[in-house]
Amino acid sequence: MKKKISKRRAVFIFVWLALIFIILAAIIALWEPPAETESIKVAMKDGVLHDKNKISLFGIIDVNPALISAYVVTAVLLVAALLIRIFAIPKFKMIPGKFQTVIEALVEFFDNMAKGNSPHRTGFIAAYIFSAGVYIFFSTMFELLGIQGVTTAGHSIALPAPIADINAAIAMGFMTYLMILAAGIVSNGVKGGLKVLKDFSLPISMSFRLFGALLSGLLVTELVYYYISLSFVLPVIVGVLFTSLHALIQTYVLATLASVFYGEAVEPKKVKKTE
Amino acid sequence: MPLNIDIVQILLHMLNFVILAGGLTLLLFKPVKKFIGERQQYFEKQKQENEKNAAENEKLKEEYEAKLRDADAEIAEKKEKVKIETAETSKEYIDTAQEKANAIIAEAENEAEIRKVHILDSAQTEIGELVIEATQKLLTESASEERVHNLYDEFIKKTAAESH
Repeated sequence: MKKKISKRRAVFIFVWLALIFIILAAIIALWEPPAETESIKVAMKDGVLHDKNKISLFGIIDVNPALISAYVVTAVLLVAALLIRIFAIPKFKMIPGKFQTVIEALVEFFDNMAKGNSPHRTGFIAAYIFSAGVYIFFSTMFELLGIQGVTTAGHSIALPAPIADINAAIAMGFMTYLMILAAGIVSNGVKGGLKVLKDFSLPISMSFRLFGALLSGLLVTELVYYYISLSFVLPVIVGVLFTSLHALIQTYVLATLASVFYGEAVEPKKVKKTE
Repeated sequence: MPLNIDIVQILLHMLNFVILAGGLTLLLFKPVKKFIGERQQYFEKQKQENEKNAAENEKLKEEYEAKLRDADAEIAEKKEKVKIETAETSKEYIDTAQEKANAIIAEAENEAEIRKVHILDSAQTEIGELVIEATQKLLTESASEERVHNLYDEFIKKTAAESH
């Protein structure tokens, strides 16, 4: 008796799922995008320039959605850091557990990178690349969540990765350059500053590398999302893979470049040997 | 600006990152690094203590080994001494025993000599007595022979009478 009921249930579920699948397939096959939808050209252009969709920042200024993403990521990271500081760090043990190991590995990774690339001064650059690394990684992964925002025109928009906005990439690149410049002046005086100034291409290359890397991923995903028929399975692979790889690679690249240039800038002057 | 570059937004991004970097450094990076440093110091201290203990142990081991070596030599020396002492004592005992034995033997020999003389004296006396006794007996016996002769004569006479 019980076997009959379970068999009936299985048949019912199978038929139900098959029905849903057939209806969905029919919708996809017969659906045509409305004429007023933005063309792929417009979508791609907006993906690069963010000049069409703006979001109001506390009603003061209209900004690119990426800035909202950046603030959301910052808020989430700071809250998480505060919670870890209050609840987890005081309970840290000499023999670490899983969570403690992850946190320690993260801190040690950036600290060791700073020590390796800038052995003369490590304190500040370690904290800087740790923050930059965490920010770039989590803000890039943030894209995967697809949190929606409302544009000033009243449309819904998925908040992009902050670094996919050129303004964020320029901010990161120039800030890193200014930090290195300041460290050069503090360590080696005016000469140290001049030495850093010689590498004036650094902020531009750093900014555009970040922007270009993130943008390429974004464009591919945008392209895939544009065609609804490609929106099954493929975005899972393309979106997650591109985003995760970019998050990791860009974190590593920026942290390495920043620490290497910082290390060069703070390197003590070589004293000429008197024979 | 080309590429939609906006100075205000760049500054807003910078402000955002400065706040984030400060917060992360104070809340996460420094406390964790401090903890790692303290733990490293703790283990470094432990390592130093272990090394110190190991060095002390090594020193003690060497001392004990040296003591053991000395003890072995001391034991061997004492053994030799005891051996010599034992040999001397046993020699003394043997000599004493030998002396005692010699004395006993001498005494015994002396006593035996005395006894021998005594026995010889007794034997001579006894032999003398026996000789006297035998002589007396012989003398006694010769008197009886006469009687035997008499009896014999009587027998002959009696026999002759009867035959007649």
